[in-house]
Amino acid sequence: MRKEEKMNQWSNFSKGFFKENAVFTLLLGMCPTLGVTSSASNGLGMGLATTFVLVMSNLVIALIKNLIPDKVRIPAFIVVIATFVTIVEMTMQAYVPALFDSLGLFIPLIVVNCLVLGRAEAFASKNNLVSSIIDGLGMGLGFAMALTILGSVRELLGSGKLFGIVIYPEDYGMLVFVLAPGAFIALGYLIAFINRVKKTA
Amino acid sequence: MNTLTVSPSPHVHSGDSVKKNMYGVIIALLPALAASLYYFGLGALIVSLAAVISCVLFEWAIQKFLLKTNPAIMDGSAALTGLLLAFNLPTNIPIWIIIIGSLVAIGIGKMSFGGLGNNIFNPALVGRVFLLISFPVQMTSWPEHGKNLTSYLDATTGATPLSIMKEGLANGESVSSLMDKIPSVSELFFGYTGGSAGEVAAAALLVGLIFMLLRKIITWHIPVAVIGTIVIFTGLLHLSNPEVYAGPLFHVLTGGVMLGAIFMATDYVSSPMSNKGMIVYGIGIGLITVIIRVFGAYPEGVSFAILIMNGFVPLIDKYIKPKRFGEVIKAGKK
Amino acid sequence: MAKTESTLKNMVLTLLVITGVAGASLGSMYELTKEPIAAAKLAKQQAAIKEVVPEFNNNPGEEVYEAQSKEGFTLKFFPAKKDNQLVGTAIETMTNTGFGGDVKIMVGLKPDGSIINYQVLEHKETPGLGTKMDVWFKTDKDNQSIVGKNPAKNNLTVSKDGGEVDAITAATISSRAFLDAVRVAYETYNQNNPAVEKGGKDESVE
Repeated sequence: MRKEEKMNQWSNFSKGFFKENAVFTLLLGMCPTLGVTSSASNGLGMGLATTFVLVMSNLVIALIKNLIPDKVRIPAFIVVIATFVTIVEMTMQAYVPALFDSLGLFIPLIVVNCLVLGRAEAFASKNNLVSSIIDGLGMGLGFAMALTILGSVRELLGSGKLFGIVIYPEDYGMLVFVLAPGAFIALGYLIAFINRVKKTA
Repeated sequence: MNTLTVSPSPHVHSGDSVKKNMYGVIIALLPALAASLYYFGLGALIVSLAAVISCVLFEWAIQKFLLKTNPAIMDGSAALTGLLLAFNLPTNIPIWIIIIGSLVAIGIGKMSFGGLGNNIFNPALVGRVFLLISFPVQMTSWPEHGKNLTSYLDATTGATPLSIMKEGLANGESVSSLMDKIPSVSELFFGYTGGSAGEVAAAALLVGLIFMLLRKIITWHIPVAVIGTIVIFTGLLHLSNPEVYAGPLFHVLTGGVMLGAIFMATDYVSSPMSNKGMIVYGIGIGLITVIIRVFGAYPEGVSFAILIMNGFVPLIDKYIKPKRFGEVIKAGKK
Repeated sequence: MAKTESTLKNMVLTLLVITGVAGASLGSMYELTKEPIAAAKLAKQQAAIKEVVPEFNNNPGEEVYEAQSKEGFTLKFFPAKKDNQLVGTAIETMTNTGFGGDVKIMVGLKPDGSIINYQVLEHKETPGLGTKMDVWFKTDKDNQSIVGKNPAKNNLTVSKDGGEVDAITAATISSRAFLDAVRVAYETYNQNNPAVEKGGKDESVE
């Protein structure tokens, strides 16, 4: 009985990485996915910021879900999410200003990331506290992983670097991958690749 | 409009095939290829060969190993894509960039959409625009014509007439003073100018057009609509203020207008089916080209214009359908 | 625990409580991060100043003054002093002639007006072309570098316009904008410090 529950929590956590990956499978949160992933570290930073918001909002919403009347649940969720996003924004600005500068506009946009609201509505408002936290952590880290992969591909192809480390001279990089069109192209091929892996797995 | 004549069987096969049409287009490109060899020498040869060979190889490899189908490289479509891509490149571009461009043209532009017949965008242009955005420095340093017959990478470079015009105007110079720095109309017509390998000699491209029209490989609608729109639009602008807007002849004879209107926009797969649709499509290309050239950031806009209008083709085909076989024409509707 | 009913009273009350709690927690968070944010901003400014002027030991951020350029841009001047002797001025300057609009740079001028160094603060130029300005004009290669040159003696425009600076390859417009921002800084600096007008040789103030 206990073992089974553990297994469930494990699959609850791991689903965010592959089976229900926010970016590659659900296609949620496309705005930051395409917007900030011009480098691996930007992708990772954005992914972790979203993870924090996701875990905290899932936690709070799981706690207060029964207190919120159904008809006003969406505004209530948004207020909770916006609060945590603002906290992340202020903390970043104070302690990691460099990351804040490069993520810029996209931090406040976490509020309207469908992934965060989607998990609040679809999961946290129906499940208990522990499951909700684990769900938020899994989905968030899966999102962070996807953004880091996409960021790495774009940084490597576009400017010849990986996490800022030079792999090959920048002159040989395909600049289009640093720009918006490259984000779409890279994401498209990553999704195609993952679908292919899924089919054979 | 022609009415369809349908006779009972037996029918005679006209002998038309993908292969025949593709090789027809390639033959039509030969005068332009000869012109580019004449003006750019060794560089044009290396670029053309590299693009054609790598396009065919990528097509073969993707069909054989990724799609696991029977390679159909002999239909000539990959070779045509390679040749058109080469015609859109400066002749001093390094081979590794050509290889990337071929991979993008065939892999992203064509095979990702399902191969010949399914691609939404003209593959050669997809490759060209990808390279233009990725390697702006190499893609915009043009070798001077006639001076580099035996050199390749170290060719002396100069600006194209379009970029001279764009930068001069941005700098506050007037059109008439800039026209002195630009080759004359007859020089432009025969190709004494800098530019991509295949786009410099309007005369050679027109020979190709006449050949394709005679062989009925393409109809007149798209080239005429594109060039006509550009002439009218730039003519109106020129009349309104001749010191700020260059005249129609300049616009038609420079850059990729001829190559684009005759060979790129008329690609079967990525252009509309009906004659009316072709005219709408051609007008769109002409308008967007002029808007990008005159008001936009880039000096040249033909390839962007064709790609944008490629995206509209399904919509055009939806609203302007070719007459269906057996369709009854309703009274009151022409 | 039973689900709260969706009555008007309940709805108003829950939203009120939630927004109240959210507001209170954000308020306290703001108080907590106010000082670190200000410190981070100051550190960034100091770092940018340090980049473009020689060593100094005053606080240029406190002695900052502003001036309008001819074009109507508001420029900020940070005087860097070592033992009360002016060693250079970091000037936050800008232009709106960039390929993608505004280009903001910080350029350091010696008291005689020659360029010590610069740093690009903000721009929207084309990646791979105009963006190269962050190192291009301080790379000592051919005629790229503007470091050590004096706008009073050197014609700091791109070679295409008859100047002596090599433009960034395929990014003439961005290069022009960059040099224009430098010119704006120098001219406005001159208006406010007439002593440098003739390259610092003439000490008389007109």
